[in-house]
Amino acid sequence: MNILREVGGELLKMFVADGWLAAGVVAVVSVAGLLTRLGKVPPLIGGTILFLGCIAVLVISVAFAGRQHRAR
Amino acid sequence: MISFTTAAPAVSAAFVASLVEVVEAFTIVLAAGTLRGWRAAIAGTAAGLAVLASIVVALGPLLERVPLHPLQLVIGVLLLLFGMGWLRKAVLRAAGIVPLHDENAAFVVETAALSDATTPHRSGYDWLGIVMAFKAVLLEGFEVVFIVIAVGAGRGLLLPASLGALTACVVVLAIGAIVHRPLARVPENTLKFAVGVILCAFGVFWTGEGLGIAWPGADLTIFFFGAVFLVVALGAVAAVRQPTGAAGG
Repeated sequence: MNILREVGGELLKMFVADGWLAAGVVAVVSVAGLLTRLGKVPPLIGGTILFLGCIAVLVISVAFAGRQHRAR
Repeated sequence: MISFTTAAPAVSAAFVASLVEVVEAFTIVLAAGTLRGWRAAIAGTAAGLAVLASIVVALGPLLERVPLHPLQLVIGVLLLLFGMGWLRKAVLRAAGIVPLHDENAAFVVETAALSDATTPHRSGYDWLGIVMAFKAVLLEGFEVVFIVIAVGAGRGLLLPASLGALTACVVVLAIGAIVHRPLARVPENTLKFAVGVILCAFGVFWTGEGLGIAWPGADLTIFFFGAVFLVVALGAVAAVRQPTGAAGG
């Protein structure tokens, strides 16, 4: 059972190594998906929101980690 | 007919990502083999590979039944979660914020853990060695299987991506058998950085396709996404780099 629990934990960590990063990715995909699916924006604009949103999430996450490290 | 622009990123991502994962698994299996006996290490490795093979055999036909767009969306989101995590960590390591992964240090830690345990059984199998090798192969192997499926399933590239991963396994095992010590000179963070960039590019592409977005330039868009992720990630390294930090991999 311990092995199974450990393997399960590692699998979860594969996709959710950093909670804020994962939440940011899910939020960006949800916003881009909703806007595109509901026809609020043309698909290509939805794609641009998805792409630039992911870039923004990455930059913010790295900057936040850098600031936390400097504060220590 | 599979085009080069579609196959090249998938095969190279599967090869490089597998190289990193197999090197990590090799370090642990080597520690298990050296301290607990090769019989246990090989048995654990074989058991891990058997579980991975059954997962692939079970998942393969299932994936073929899933409609393409939902499959691309699910795989795209998982790729984004996985790839962005890798890229973030690689950026922080290159900037000196997170320590670089050292295979020699990992080998020392694993051997210390095994040395502290009870003496291996001379007769029969040594369960500690088996479990250690099994876990290492299974956990690192999961990542390899996921990457192969993720970069291959959306475009019928499972076979080329699998061949990329298999080549990486053969390369690591061949070098490992010759040098018989941890492959510490593999520039692991540089490879992780590169794979993170490719996985993020694939993730945005598949997620978009899953949402019904027709990217201009079709598969060539993956290269554009990859180039932008690379430039942004390198910029992020420069922006948060520690003055005394170690860079690269």
